[in-house]
Amino acid sequence: MSAIASFDSVSKKYGRAPALRATSLNLHRGVVGLLGPNGAGKTTMLRLLSTALPPSSGRIVVCGFDVTESHADRVEARRRIGYCPQEVTFPRGMTAFAFLDYLAVLKEWTDKGRRHAEVERVLDLVHLGDRGAMKIAKLSGGQRRRLAIAQALVGSPDLLILDEPTTGLDPEQRASLRGLLSGLAGTVLISTHQTEDVSALCDRVLVIDAGAIRFDGTVTELLATAAGRVHLGPAATSGAVQTWKTGTGLVRSVGGQPAPDSSVVDPSVEDAYLLLRSERHTPQGVNP
Amino acid sequence: MTWHIDAPVWEAYAEGRLEPAAELSVESHLVGCPECRSAARSQVPARTADAVWSDVRLTISAPSPSLPQRAMQRLGVAPDDAVVISAADAFLVPWAVAVGFAVVSACVVGLAGLGPASRDAAFLALAPLVPVLAVVTSYDALDPLRELMAPTPYSKLRLALLRAAAALAVAVPATMMIGLVVPHMDDLALAWLAPALGLTLAALVLLTWLEAWVTAVLVASAWVTVVALLRVGDRVDALTTPLGQVAFVVAAGGLVLALVLRTSTLRLQGGEL
Repeated sequence: MSAIASFDSVSKKYGRAPALRATSLNLHRGVVGLLGPNGAGKTTMLRLLSTALPPSSGRIVVCGFDVTESHADRVEARRRIGYCPQEVTFPRGMTAFAFLDYLAVLKEWTDKGRRHAEVERVLDLVHLGDRGAMKIAKLSGGQRRRLAIAQALVGSPDLLILDEPTTGLDPEQRASLRGLLSGLAGTVLISTHQTEDVSALCDRVLVIDAGAIRFDGTVTELLATAAGRVHLGPAATSGAVQTWKTGTGLVRSVGGQPAPDSSVVDPSVEDAYLLLRSERHTPQGVNP
Repeated sequence: MTWHIDAPVWEAYAEGRLEPAAELSVESHLVGCPECRSAARSQVPARTADAVWSDVRLTISAPSPSLPQRAMQRLGVAPDDAVVISAADAFLVPWAVAVGFAVVSACVVGLAGLGPASRDAAFLALAPLVPVLAVVTSYDALDPLRELMAPTPYSKLRLALLRAAAALAVAVPATMMIGLVVPHMDDLALAWLAPALGLTLAALVLLTWLEAWVTAVLVASAWVTVVALLRVGDRVDALTTPLGQVAFVVAAGGLVLALVLRTSTLRLQGGEL
């Protein structure tokens, strides 16, 4: 299966500070989750892939077009990319429909009738079909977030890049977004702090830390890294990475040496992520 | 309800064969009769109903063209370009800055009680900066949406130039009006245009390196310094002589070339204007 997008030894520096170390990976169809702490390089990686940011070195190919090669290739790639940044500053006084109409013009939807129909379609996808005529200033935070996602969906892109799309959404809206993303035909790359989104939605997980990919595999493979290392007992385990008292009064310990009266429990994606973070893995980075 | 719409009437209504009065009667009846509304659903194919509903929604949701959009379309601007130019109320800012600065310039020049030489120097120092400010602020107005616009295929240079052109369409006539309205400015009413052209292009070139506000400060301070030095040397007339005017036009040509080269280089390097 050919890759929709690929990084070949891509790195990015801001001044002298490395934001992303030389990284190689291929993205195929499906939903890929990008996990990592703040400042790990998630947003840099997404911006590089979206072509909003040029790399310091390396080669990025999207849908067969080398975005680092020529402007013409970059424009071709952009016709196939939908990108929703982490934070969107909306124009004051614009309606939801007018905002999407404007972005659709920038995405080369020149026929007014088809463009307006497309705007209606993406508004419906994010359940804002009845809010098109409403000023953005009057929309709630969750509705604005969905509007930002809607603009990325214009034109049904082959590669959809979403930077923390579920921030500000309530559980029902998050579930609805999961349903939408899981039904898309192309490649979806989402960065998130919500580990439950990853376990519920993603075919593949990338864990990035300090500008390097620390894990690349399926959710099952990620969970396997924490198997037998999460315990529940009356007291915290010695040397645990994280411990907290659960609602039952028992203490859940991630990592460490288990106490004799504690029992092993199934790890969550969050447990596996915390354990990964606590260790210094050799970067994997390459996915064939 | 004591009566209901029967099949032949439905058929005639659907085919548009009813007289206007009978058509109105059917529609009025539907408003108050749930049974006939229900029956109407079976009379209209689902695809037609969906299309009608979609049109209704579009009519409600789709924005009607704003006054600037309508004006631009009357002037022959393509509808897409009009959407791009007038998108966001942010575009009101450059217009307000341009016109506001022009009015302030008029006040300074016309009402400050300056002598003829100082008045001319003040006008020539301020007037060419009106389009510069309009262009720089229009460029800066794009900033909030830059992150969303960057990964779109639309040419960023075209976007910047479209907005700059729209800002100039207001700024230039506004400044010309001042030259014509303020007493004793007749001979300078057009002389500021060549410097304005050069300075605006210089600003566009600098915008490929610098932030908008830094560009505005650099261009404005450099230009005001040049005019002040000429005033001190009593040589402000040099700006309005044919040779001076030609020099600005030649410089403008060079700056156009620089802009093209700079944007081409940026594109090759993976950057954007």
